[in-house]
Amino acid sequence: MTLAPVDYLILILYFAFVLGIGWRLRKKMATSGDFLLSGRAVPVWITSLAFVAANLGAQELIGMSASGAKYGIMTAHFYWLGAIPAMLFVGIFMMPFYYGSKARSVPEYLKLRFDEKTRGFNAITFAVMTVFSSGISMYALGLLFQFLLGWTFTASVLLSAAIVLVYTFLGGLTSAIYNEVIQFFLTVMGFAPLAILAVWKAGGWKGVSERIPPVMTHAWKYMGSAAENPMGVDWFGMVAGLGFVLSFGYWCTNFLVVQRAMAADSMSGARRTPLLGTFPKMLIPFIVIVPGIAALALANMNVGYVLPTKGDGYDYDQVLTTLMAQFYPSGMLGVGLTALMASFMSGMAGNVTAFNTVWTYDIYQSYIRKNAPDAHYLWMGRVATVCGIALSIGAAFMARQYNNIMDLLQLVFGMVNAPLFATFMLGMFWTRSTGHGAFIGLLSGTGAAALTHGLTVAEHKGGWIASLVTFRSTMAQNFWVAIAAWTTCFVVTILVSLATRPRPVQELHGLVYGLDPLPKDESKWWARPAPVAIVAGVVLVFFNILFW
Amino acid sequence: MDLRVPSGWFFTLLGLLLSGFGVLAPNARAPLTDANVNLYAGLVMLAFGVVLLGLARRSR
Repeated sequence: MTLAPVDYLILILYFAFVLGIGWRLRKKMATSGDFLLSGRAVPVWITSLAFVAANLGAQELIGMSASGAKYGIMTAHFYWLGAIPAMLFVGIFMMPFYYGSKARSVPEYLKLRFDEKTRGFNAITFAVMTVFSSGISMYALGLLFQFLLGWTFTASVLLSAAIVLVYTFLGGLTSAIYNEVIQFFLTVMGFAPLAILAVWKAGGWKGVSERIPPVMTHAWKYMGSAAENPMGVDWFGMVAGLGFVLSFGYWCTNFLVVQRAMAADSMSGARRTPLLGTFPKMLIPFIVIVPGIAALALANMNVGYVLPTKGDGYDYDQVLTTLMAQFYPSGMLGVGLTALMASFMSGMAGNVTAFNTVWTYDIYQSYIRKNAPDAHYLWMGRVATVCGIALSIGAAFMARQYNNIMDLLQLVFGMVNAPLFATFMLGMFWTRSTGHGAFIGLLSGTGAAALTHGLTVAEHKGGWIASLVTFRSTMAQNFWVAIAAWTTCFVVTILVSLATRPRPVQELHGLVYGLDPLPKDESKWWARPAPVAIVAGVVLVFFNILFW
Repeated sequence: MDLRVPSGWFFTLLGLLLSGFGVLAPNARAPLTDANVNLYAGLVMLAFGVVLLGLARRSR
């Protein structure tokens, strides 16, 4: 793939705008709250798009089109089942407590609701995780641009990191969020034409369905048993593992996304952020998964498209970029690659802005320097931005040297994350749950995840203790590891809570469901949380039936 | 800062650039496309940018 001058011009235009937004916002950063929390003043249409965009990194685009080619429309479960219900739940039930408690971060909510050690555990694991995941995506981007355009790995890593650094350093969270909106629009504009062109070429959706096995175009029909579908997962593992444990654990407790809602200008805005975000989120499968499915159909026609290969198997991760090379002429190709770069930046800036907040408020202010003037924490937030990006760059180079360490780290993070939703659910909906219960529950949930992974085998992964159960795929294994972690955390938290002394109920106002009436919403009736959630639910059911 | 203004300008300029290129090089084709992708995609982006600018202007 070679870029023409017009493609570089598009890339430069994009860089100019993201940097310009950071530059324009630099003067508004007067306090640490402006820099790290956007001063809680961002309009809801912006926060809801940022909520979706912060999660839509380049790895997701590449991975989802790869899964589309590998597993078909079933991949859409990662959106329709694995995101929307949880986004509706966090908006309706949890946001009143995140936003209303005046906590500045998710770990800080845990401190208010439970105790210091629960917050510390969550804050530290989260901070480490954000640095590594932005490092891993930087590594993926570096490899991609090296392979596609022949740029050196170091040059693409440093260039993209430098741009994210400049605009987050200047304009803080507001700059990250504003840019995420432009990045989201650009991602859609850059990839929707690919979906349209690829499906068109394959004879429309009808033509696509006729050319590939029926299991690729049905989301639910072949979920009866794990043997029937290419994912190797049955409906229970899918619904409980992905739809409940992993999805709620991510969308309801991960500060990276929750931070976007907490930046909204009002309680109503904070609650509607994830609710309105469900609409673009539901449509993303059509631009990221459908091209992968169409690629499979095109490979079965005689038009000159072949699925990329590596060794003696298919290299699904190259599906998206090979499609771009086949369908995009110079000009549009520049837009597509700029969109890939933009989605990478929105994912990375999401990690960086969540990292600097958790570091500054939950680690530095809590354990290192408690009562400094606010200007000091603003300074610290800026230092944390620089350090976070420097550490991510380090992680990217480490990933290049030691690939296995990164796989191991991702596995460990998964285990730490899996039980989280049990802790939040019990904390937010059961006044009797205690700090000791939450902390011991989290640790044992993580332990249960490790144990399950050690006792089960899938595709030669896991089973480092014994192999009691064999799954058809690592995806099924991941789902069951998550289910074990969540259940253990849930049960242990309840048992330990019952055995330890609870906090007096009057201390829990604004933190637990049922103690205070839910906030009244003054907006027009159709814009209130419940009606918005119902409409989203109806559209969601419609998509599931359409692709049954 | 009204975000509709910078994002509106971004897509207006991007749309002009892309559709302009589509007009100047109407025969630019990728191996599997039969249409002038640059022109059509550029016009969509231009329209999107202009709508954003219009919305921002109206609410001022």
